[in-house]
Amino acid sequence: MAAVDTVHRPRPHGIERRRRRVAYGLLFPGGGWLLVFFLVPVFIMAYTSLMSGGVLSGGFRFTWEFSNYLDALTGRQVFVLRSLSFAAMTTIGTVLLAYPAAYWIAFHGGRWKNTLLFMILLPYFVSFVIRTVQWKFILADNGPLLGTLKDLGIVPGDFHVLATPIAVVGGLIYNYLPFAALPLFVALDRIDRTLIEGAYDLYANRTQAFLKIVFPLSMPGVFAATLLTFVPATGDYVEAEILGGPTTKMIGNIIQTEFLTRARYPVAAALSMVLMLTMVLLTSIYAKAIGTEDETLAAARL
Amino acid sequence: MHGWRDELELRRLQEVMRRKLTRRGFLKGAGIGAAGIGAASVLPSCGGGIGTGETDVTPADLFGGPMEDEVHFANWPVYIDKAKDPETGERYSPSLRMFEEETGVSVNYAEVIQENASFFGKLQPQLQAGQATGWDIIVMTNGWEFTALVRNGWVYPLDTTKRPNFDGNALDWAADPPFDPGAQHSMAYQSGITGMVYNADLIAPIATLDDLADPSKVPPDSVGMIKADMPDFVMINLGIDPTTSGPDGWREAADWLIKQRETGVVRQYYEQGYVDDLTAGNLAASMAWSGDVFYYQVWGGYPNLEFVFPEGGGYLWTDNMMVPAGAANPVAALALMDWFYRPDIATMLQEFIFYMSPCAGTQELILEDAAAAEEEGSKGYANKLRATAENEYLFPSDELLARCSFGRQLETDEEKEEWDSIFEPISEG
Repeated sequence: MAAVDTVHRPRPHGIERRRRRVAYGLLFPGGGWLLVFFLVPVFIMAYTSLMSGGVLSGGFRFTWEFSNYLDALTGRQVFVLRSLSFAAMTTIGTVLLAYPAAYWIAFHGGRWKNTLLFMILLPYFVSFVIRTVQWKFILADNGPLLGTLKDLGIVPGDFHVLATPIAVVGGLIYNYLPFAALPLFVALDRIDRTLIEGAYDLYANRTQAFLKIVFPLSMPGVFAATLLTFVPATGDYVEAEILGGPTTKMIGNIIQTEFLTRARYPVAAALSMVLMLTMVLLTSIYAKAIGTEDETLAAARL
Repeated sequence: MHGWRDELELRRLQEVMRRKLTRRGFLKGAGIGAAGIGAASVLPSCGGGIGTGETDVTPADLFGGPMEDEVHFANWPVYIDKAKDPETGERYSPSLRMFEEETGVSVNYAEVIQENASFFGKLQPQLQAGQATGWDIIVMTNGWEFTALVRNGWVYPLDTTKRPNFDGNALDWAADPPFDPGAQHSMAYQSGITGMVYNADLIAPIATLDDLADPSKVPPDSVGMIKADMPDFVMINLGIDPTTSGPDGWREAADWLIKQRETGVVRQYYEQGYVDDLTAGNLAASMAWSGDVFYYQVWGGYPNLEFVFPEGGGYLWTDNMMVPAGAANPVAALALMDWFYRPDIATMLQEFIFYMSPCAGTQELILEDAAAAEEEGSKGYANKLRATAENEYLFPSDELLARCSFGRQLETDEEKEEWDSIFEPISEG
């Protein structure tokens, strides 16, 4: 629009100028937020990742220490791969669980829609750390669930869920479910019902109507749901910390260890940078593969 | 009448101190004579300014001002006595309230330290930049964080002439700890022993470190290890003196830990929180802190938990009060630190925290409290107090202390790097 304006009205008069000022003004809160709380921290992270020094010799200083990146990546592939696979399982799990729920609420929720959505969000009024710790009690080796099953002889005596990948992925699915359910609901709810009626009129059966009309039209929701679960799940460390064991450590735990236990702040920053760039790369490939720009825009509109 | 002038003078000195610290940090950063400065700061303060002694700012200057009217105290959770005000129903700490009443200083007490390294990580940028942290007292366990704070001049050297209670009542191990000779930069808050615990409902008694790696004694995925303590603890039990140990001894301990891991008995390498898994019955055995086990066994309703001082020895640690550089209220801070060395106050703490008190005379006072409780008819409470006073890990004998070690003090970044590269991969998995 701006370009067109310039061609037709090289000297915009007062109202036009004010309009532009308003437009920039509206951009300011969000833009300022991004600048202060995203760009500045990323810059600080990049800056820190090139520092050298040590806690026992006065601290760290900026020295263009690129070897931090090599140091950060040495022997860490296993954690990156584990995080990516846990996140992939989480994404598939959440979408598979959330899709039917969102579908039902959108198409059959009727006047209960808002209540049902509220119920999906209800657990999130409690801190997710507390909820995750509660799972530890529920799933304890001799706790209410496994203890009962063991007493009934359904599972063997040394069976346990905690400290296994199942516990970690299960915890991730549990915590990220609404991030998938909400965009899926919005996408499904927006579908024009007359299109589905049209499909029936053209002798489509229910399966065909779903596969040819509903599912393709809900793709922006699926796209948003997968991004909103996969990206944060990859960097998550709380589930692995609370529900996992020594063999389920994710890359987030390694960054935490580098930062908090080993006090190698530059290496931790380098590792975070690498993780962030990996995620940007993977999501762009995904965005390219799954659809067009339309999907991204549609997802953004959700 | 000239209080404000003293105040002004003190602020000026603190400002000088702060600027100096920044400059020192910068010099070290540039790598100029790092070794020289390192050596200089190891010198026990030369009785003068911190570090190189090129300043005339002494502990006497820093702590010479009038008493401030507040003090900001950062401590660990569940690490102070608590009571409920019968009138307001508000929870408060009697020992701190008594201090406030006696001195007129108001104490801002915050349970903000979950872990040494992460709390250190939060303060480190401010300290390195020479800015005040907002805290007047922090509590750090002896370890590399402690060493870094002292070595970099990030804590004030204490005015050792202004702690009468400490001089009179500090036990030997607190008065002159190996990691801070003469307690010039720190004063012990509480201390404890890292040993082992087992759940008598789940397994037969254990006695040695090797039992924690023996699948015939502990089930799979049922042993808890405390990450920060395990290198020293394993070395002690393998007969290696950690205080003089080098990379060879570290690798020997790491080999034991790797072997243990390969048996599949380890449930988790904990920073904290092993107690939750222990009381939930997820752990059959674990490394453990003496005070935790005692508390849960006697006071918390878990008689099935049993503390074991392993045959090879125990790992001793101390949580130390320090005054971070730039602290706005050093005088009140030192007064409060010394306050905890009054036997009656130390007893109030110990009857709630159940760790080793650095202050002499608490055992008798706890027994007196037990007798008083019995007279009042609370026999159960009296018995628990008596069990507290008789616990050998709260009041260790010299013989027991001789079988403990404070562990390896890492002195340089190179040492720390080597130590971490040997031990970190074990828990990273």
